Amino acid sequence: MKVLEVNNISKSFGNFRAVDDVSFSIEEGVIFGLLGPNGAGKTTSIRMIINIILPDSGRVSVLGETNSKTANDFIGYLPEERGLYRKMKVGELLLFMAALKRTNKRKARQAVDYWLEKIDLMDWKNKKIEELSKGMQQKIQFIGTVLHEPKLLILDEPFGGLDPINQNLIKDILLELKGKRTTIIFSTHVMESAEKLCEEIFLINKGREVLYGKLGEIKKSIGRQNILIEYDGSDDFLKKSDQIKKFDNYGNYVEVQLKKDGDPQKLLKDAVKTITIKKFELKEPSLNDIFIETIQGTNEGGNES
Amino acid sequence: MNMKVFAVIKREYLTRVKTKGFIIGTFLFPMILILIFGGYFIFSTVFGPSTRTYHIIDQSGRIFDEFSRIQSDTLKNGDPEYQFIREDITAEGLEPIVDGLQNRVLNKEIDGYMIIPEDIVESKTITYSARNVSDFEEQESFGRTFSWIVTNMRFENRGLPADEIRQEMNRGRVRLNTRQVTEKGEIEKSGGASFALSYLLTYVIILMMMIYGQTLMRSVIEEKTQRITETIVSSIKPIELMLGKIAGICALGITQLIVFGGIILLMLNYSESIFKQLGVDAPDVLGFVRQIHFSSNVFAFMIIFFLLGFVFFSSIFAAVGAMVNTEDEGQQYQMPLMILIWIGFFIMLTVAKNPETPRAFWVSLFPLFTPIVMFSRIAVSDPIIPSGAYLSLFTMSASTVLLIMLVAKIYRVGILMYGKKASIKEAIRWIRYK
Repeated sequence: MKVLEVNNISKSFGNFRAVDDVSFSIEEGVIFGLLGPNGAGKTTSIRMIINIILPDSGRVSVLGETNSKTANDFIGYLPEERGLYRKMKVGELLLFMAALKRTNKRKARQAVDYWLEKIDLMDWKNKKIEELSKGMQQKIQFIGTVLHEPKLLILDEPFGGLDPINQNLIKDILLELKGKRTTIIFSTHVMESAEKLCEEIFLINKGREVLYGKLGEIKKSIGRQNILIEYDGSDDFLKKSDQIKKFDNYGNYVEVQLKKDGDPQKLLKDAVKTITIKKFELKEPSLNDIFIETIQGTNEGGNES
Repeated sequence: MNMKVFAVIKREYLTRVKTKGFIIGTFLFPMILILIFGGYFIFSTVFGPSTRTYHIIDQSGRIFDEFSRIQSDTLKNGDPEYQFIREDITAEGLEPIVDGLQNRVLNKEIDGYMIIPEDIVESKTITYSARNVSDFEEQESFGRTFSWIVTNMRFENRGLPADEIRQEMNRGRVRLNTRQVTEKGEIEKSGGASFALSYLLTYVIILMMMIYGQTLMRSVIEEKTQRITETIVSSIKPIELMLGKIAGICALGITQLIVFGGIILLMLNYSESIFKQLGVDAPDVLGFVRQIHFSSNVFAFMIIFFLLGFVFFSSIFAAVGAMVNTEDEGQQYQMPLMILIWIGFFIMLTVAKNPETPRAFWVSLFPLFTPIVMFSRIAVSDPIIPSGAYLSLFTMSASTVLLIMLVAKIYRVGILMYGKKASIKEAIRWIRYK
């Protein structure tokens, strides 16, 4: 079942085309990465999905509803620009957020206790928001988006500003929610965390689609492999080798990108002649590599046209 | 009601009604008012004057006795109010005596002196010299007494019987019985009291609109600066959020009005006995208040115009809040709004005296002024309902709805705009956004 369908949406602000003819769809229970550099159109796209702004053209349908007035009650949204009423108590605020999603009172109270327990902030329930640390506030805001058991959860940079322990906590919760068939849109420009979580990605730049599909397939379709070599000796053999396109020496190891028809076996044979190999690893390109390459590619293409 | 809007109303209301500022403002303000009123009457006894001493040089020799006989009131503590001492003129003339008196005034032995010339009947001028000349009540009282005596002397000089003339003058005094002609017949009514009350009520309406309009504006700005808006509007439509905020803060204002009203009623009921226990004469204010009789129409219109005016003006404040990022920026935009409200107030002051002119009719239909000007026309014309009163209910409601629709569009765009404050021109462009 398709939880979200986005068909050819565009949005301009004055002369600036923030989103240009974007389409994608998401199946139930998928963690979907909406990726792109700053200012690419991620937030504008999300705002159109949750009906905060209307697209100039195109159509969004959430859970089969084209008018998201009712659909919004099944969406949980954590914006990148986030904040809470500083003077409200944690418990009151969470109940308010649940009420805005039409959650009934009894159920909301249970959910608040359940989630506060889960993120270990139960002791803070009757404290005012302004007494909490930034990280705590962010966790409170996160559970504010899941209290009403949304079918679609949209998270804009959810890990920003969290320490590794709390990042892990949120990650575990996301995987648990995915297990309960919650669909999650995860918007970020930090590729490492997207790579860990996302099954499908949509890469957007300058308002346009540049890459869209299952992460595994995208990696395969790029069809090249990187090699990681740890060794003792000089990197002269790399400079001489005709198998490689380029390499990056990081001191402790080098990362090598082969030519399209390059053969890792030949490279290994050349290498053992001059250096002592400690580690030789064939590795798929990281999402980070794909991101940088694709974005740079489209930017250059954009400049030419 | 829509559960989401209700949640917003509840939040706006509860988070504010519980703040120290609101509780203090609601209960302390009327207390302070009572203290000021009560204090005036109590202090006027405590700090009342003691016996004052004036020397009088009566060159005519015909004024002093009569004057000190008439000015023989006693103070609250039983002492005489004044002590008058006759100063005789010696052979050396006036100057040495005046010098002496001046020194005694400066040495605070006496409070002052007066010189009555020999030809007082013709010159009609008496010199009053004192260390402190700010007690105008005393000077007026002295002036009245002197005039009375001199007038009597003039009657006598012309051979007219002063006592008889005075008596006839008193007998001939006419009372003006003010009656207002209404459909239900004529009724007795005094202009002063109802004018004063309608002035007070409109003043309260204006103050409430300004104070709570600013509260609303701050609330909108808070959601912007704390970056709360985006979370909220992913659950509720901006117009619902705006209406919820207006309603919540309006409820807050009404709470405060009810508390104020209750305290004032209590005060009126019990103040007389309290004043008596304190040994203070029941002040004139109470008698003045008792003269006021408004029909229930006035209060019904007051509530309606308060609500409509509140929603009308606060929706403008909401738009201003959405256009700016800080309270300082908000202040700049709300200045013209404040000026408009005060212009309405000044128009009200004149219209209240002449509520039935065509100009009064038209100006009171202008939505910015209706809640203030039309209400004052209704209050002073009571129990007659002035022309255009019912029409204004319609025009005011219609323009409030129109304004909300317009303002909601500015609000919807503005609350998600961070950074630069929007110009009026930009805001108008927002109205046309899809």
